[in-house]
Amino acid sequence: MTCFEVPTRIAVIGIGNVLLGDDGVGPYVVELLRAGWELPHDVTLIDVGTPGLDLASHLLGREVVILVDAVGATGEPGEVRVYHGEELQRLPVLPRVSPHDPAVQEALWIAELADSAPQVVLVGIIPESTEPGVELSAVVREGAIKACSVVIDELTRRGVAVRPRIDSPEPDAWWQRSAARC
Amino acid sequence: MARITIDPITRIEGHLRIDAVVDGGEVQKAWASCSMWRGIETILRGRDPREAWIFTQRFCGVCTTVHAIASVRAIEDALRMEIPVNAQYIRNLILIAHGLHDHIVHFYHLSALDFVDVTTIPKADAAKAASIAQSLSDWPNNSKQEMERVQKKVLGLVQSGQLGIFTNGYWGHPAMKLPPEVNLLAVAHYLQALEYQRVSNQVVAILGGKTPHIQNLAVGGVMNAINLDSLATLNMDRIYMMKDRLDEVVPFVQDVYFPDACAIAAFYADWFDIGSGVKNYLAVPDLPTDTASTQFDIPGGTIFDGDLAGVRRISGSRDDYFRKGVVEDVTHGWYQGRGAQHPWQGETIPDYTDFQDDGKYSWVKAPRFEGKPMQVGPLASVLVSYAQGHELTKKWTDLALQRVSAIAQKPITIDKMHSTMGRYLARAIRACVLSELAMRHWALLADNVAKGDTTTFNEPHFPKDAVEGVGIHEAPRGTLSHWVVVQDGKLANYQAVVPTTWNASPRDEQGVPGPYEASLLKNPIADPEKPLEILRTVHSFDPCLACACHTLDVEGKTIATVKVL
Repeated sequence: MTCFEVPTRIAVIGIGNVLLGDDGVGPYVVELLRAGWELPHDVTLIDVGTPGLDLASHLLGREVVILVDAVGATGEPGEVRVYHGEELQRLPVLPRVSPHDPAVQEALWIAELADSAPQVVLVGIIPESTEPGVELSAVVREGAIKACSVVIDELTRRGVAVRPRIDSPEPDAWWQRSAARC
Repeated sequence: MARITIDPITRIEGHLRIDAVVDGGEVQKAWASCSMWRGIETILRGRDPREAWIFTQRFCGVCTTVHAIASVRAIEDALRMEIPVNAQYIRNLILIAHGLHDHIVHFYHLSALDFVDVTTIPKADAAKAASIAQSLSDWPNNSKQEMERVQKKVLGLVQSGQLGIFTNGYWGHPAMKLPPEVNLLAVAHYLQALEYQRVSNQVVAILGGKTPHIQNLAVGGVMNAINLDSLATLNMDRIYMMKDRLDEVVPFVQDVYFPDACAIAAFYADWFDIGSGVKNYLAVPDLPTDTASTQFDIPGGTIFDGDLAGVRRISGSRDDYFRKGVVEDVTHGWYQGRGAQHPWQGETIPDYTDFQDDGKYSWVKAPRFEGKPMQVGPLASVLVSYAQGHELTKKWTDLALQRVSAIAQKPITIDKMHSTMGRYLARAIRACVLSELAMRHWALLADNVAKGDTTTFNEPHFPKDAVEGVGIHEAPRGTLSHWVVVQDGKLANYQAVVPTTWNASPRDEQGVPGPYEASLLKNPIADPEKPLEILRTVHSFDPCLACACHTLDVEGKTIATVKVL
């Protein structure tokens, strides 16, 4: 999607840095969804990287946004956690030293302030390792598949007609290609 | 005496940490530390240089395009390539639009609230706020109705006790000085800025295919096919679509951001005497206008010890003064070894100790230029341009100083720019310079395409032997350079020396502190529990370290801790 067009009603936004191991699980889930499912035109899939406050621009003007991100929560790596409205409001907010720290909560507030806040669901996956590297750990790869079903359930629950692709291609996780093959 | 540690780290991949020893209400000693390993470049070794930019634009989520463009420039430099002028103009427009977006967001959304106390807004007289705003510029959205609308919105937040985006400010802090009416107009423009930063990013998307990760680059030019008869390519419709966006953003920069920055600078004129720190400045030339990248619309150079008259020009990426001048010192960084290495020989082998005040204490290396720490960023670019008589920079700098002096009712001269407030003001000056250059580069592209030149790409050819290159870009946060060694069509080494590395640099082998550390000395601290003044100085550099890693902390805690020594 190009951001100079009118925002679609629904977006699934994968957040994370694909060069930092399991931190890239959000973008990976987006590619899994793109490869595996046919979605209607009013749903956009976005690999947004690590946008800080710029995330707000991707929220404005939409009805529903499903965020997929690695989350630092107590639990086993690969576990999927889902956070809805009220729970999201309780996310901790840290004073900003670097102005570009992760800013999901702030981005939501900005959307509210602009009277343009969508309904937001956060699908979180607990990472195992976020050291520099382009691969996901095995447990988080499993977690990504679970997260994918959670996203599909959330869409279906909202009456979105999704269909699995019959001959689905491999997900285009281009960053995971090894140096030798590219 | 007390030691303040500002450290929002709750997990191993960290952020910027600032430590300061405070005595007698002032900072006496400071350390800047980044607790995240910046070894991402190792992922690039052995890869195809034509693909490097796709990876490098993932270094940082906020500065995506800048790392993409520095990367293709580095490979082109290594190959001694020229690229078509259309490609230069298209890249320049992307960089300018990104820069405008970034500066607007920094001023309003990332740092204004260090100076603007939102909680006083309910007391403001909306009519008076409107008349102050109208005295600053003839921007049409400064009406009394607009101020009332914003006041009502803020009042709603304050009354509900849910401050939302304003939760985290140091409200009521003794260092907050703006009258309620100025706070109100600043928040009104904060809300308007949300729209204009987005419009500016649309220019990036029109040319780049999408944001935040542009898709149109290539080593050798850009992949935008230009065909005036085709809807699917870059045609006149698209080119004018871009002009429409610029016609909205440019007035916002010149008639809202610039006067606001001047007004806030004048109300906080004491901050022109705080935070000078390292007065060595480095800026690289940018916005090339010829195929060989030898002519630039923004000059580069160095200034040492604040001596503008002694400015020395950097003519381009092939200038040995720059090419040979840069080293990175790892004495106080968590890397193996001591001393300094040139980026082409640079290694990134981690050696984590603990936070040692006099030993290793940061994941940031310490870049040095001819052995000296250098401040980079809009202030460096503005001073280096000003000192070389760059017309646009002179025009906007003189206008800014004149306005600030008039409002502050005391003379604020160019030498006052070496300061925390100088950095804020310089960013607004640079935004105005860029806003004029946006129109110029748009016209250059439109004219050249109208003349029938549709070339956008030259094919790169890779030699067997090792070749070295550097890609430079004067990014929103300052001088960015990507250093590459290419051998037999593969990347043999890749080092990115990013702006924040220069500014957040730890001490070097000689114990000389970096710009953040030096600028914090003598910063006043009214209340060590609420170190707002430290944040003002650190934010004036617009740090960008943390965005490389996003993992969201859902159970976070922490913040400033104060330990009495």
